[in-house]
Amino acid sequence: METLQSPLYEVADAFEANELFQRNGWTDGLPIVPPTESVVSRFLDAAGVPAGAVVGVEPVRRRRITAEKVAIAAVMAGGLPEYLPVVVAIVKAMCEPEFGFHGVTASTGGSAPFVVVNGPVRLALGMNATHNVLGNGSRPNATIGRALRLLIINVLGGIPGQLDRSTLGHPGKFTFCVAEDEEDSPWLPLATERGVTPGASAVTVLAVESPHQIMNEWTHDPRDIAETYAAAIRANMLTYSIWAGNYAIVVPKQHRQIFAEAGWSKRDLRERVHERARVSRREWRAVGKSAVAPRKDEDAIYTALRSPDDLLVVAAGGPAGGFGAILPPWYGKKSLAVTKGIDP
Amino acid sequence: MTLRVLDPRLSAEGEAARLAAPLDSLDGALVALLDNAKIGTERFYDHLEAMLRERYGVREVIRRRKPDASRPAPADVLGELSAADAIVSGIGD
Repeated sequence: METLQSPLYEVADAFEANELFQRNGWTDGLPIVPPTESVVSRFLDAAGVPAGAVVGVEPVRRRRITAEKVAIAAVMAGGLPEYLPVVVAIVKAMCEPEFGFHGVTASTGGSAPFVVVNGPVRLALGMNATHNVLGNGSRPNATIGRALRLLIINVLGGIPGQLDRSTLGHPGKFTFCVAEDEEDSPWLPLATERGVTPGASAVTVLAVESPHQIMNEWTHDPRDIAETYAAAIRANMLTYSIWAGNYAIVVPKQHRQIFAEAGWSKRDLRERVHERARVSRREWRAVGKSAVAPRKDEDAIYTALRSPDDLLVVAAGGPAGGFGAILPPWYGKKSLAVTKGIDP
Repeated sequence: MTLRVLDPRLSAEGEAARLAAPLDSLDGALVALLDNAKIGTERFYDHLEAMLRERYGVREVIRRRKPDASRPAPADVLGELSAADAIVSGIGD
């Protein structure tokens, strides 16, 4: 076992440990599990990674993120040792230049890293891909996502009002991690579509604004279902950001069945949404943005996706209900989705 | 029984970038202003440049703009700035 480098603080008990972290602003406001040497070492051993290993470097401020700090965050978040390889893979993904880690952390736009986990690790950890998938209830979903926020706070300095300049933020900033329902989906898993070897475990991370739910339970026509997702994206383009980038949509079983019966692959759905999720600059006039509409050609057409590949289609959600969601990007293509394999 | 808990923050050794040692004087210095491409930076730097020249006797000011506020400055821009005695880097709006 490699020696841990972080300074140590002595406290009376777990209650006082939490008080220390709350007082110092080292948490997200919720209580933490005390990161003691023995527990942090157990996490690192489970992941087979030395404490001093550099997991990634945040590209703008050149913050070197060591495995020790990732493990501390994972312990604090309330996870188990076997979750650490997933957290490590996500941190690696977020340090890739196209993710724009600094921008998404600091921006007034207030985004959160949304994580989709694919492959056998989902089942091994007991992750949730079904009921209430974007909400509470699953320990690995909740604590893997939370570990990222705690790391952003303590290692990147993403403290609200300091480096984190979010005007609003959103609830996903506490935690926002799901598994894809590969077993009950007619489609290729997201990671496989994005180039990961079938059957391997992987994470995909995208900086998103708050999810927006859609409802359509009154049709069996896949074009109608696709249109409802596209309409929500169009609304986001007009009321939030018109700039094209990665959007994610979460498609529940009730909608997947309609697509499957019609023979639609994820690719078919992406192509349809790419075609339909577009607005003219002139439409800004109807949503209170007349001041900026005439700055350029108002007949110009803006697409939500640069190409169909920009849409991440995620199969997840409870078995009943025609409720899906769109997850808009932080700010067009300034931050892009990154997929990484999980080292066993 | 007491508990010993680890500091979750990045230690000083984790900081790959450090501030350069401060200059004794700006008189006759070459100062670079790195613009982060945010909307208010140019006007702020116009004011700062005038102040550096008039009040502090700065000899020369190099100004460069990053292509994007949320990404690192490109290597060629950093190369141009490396000649300066001091660099001011803009963050935020």
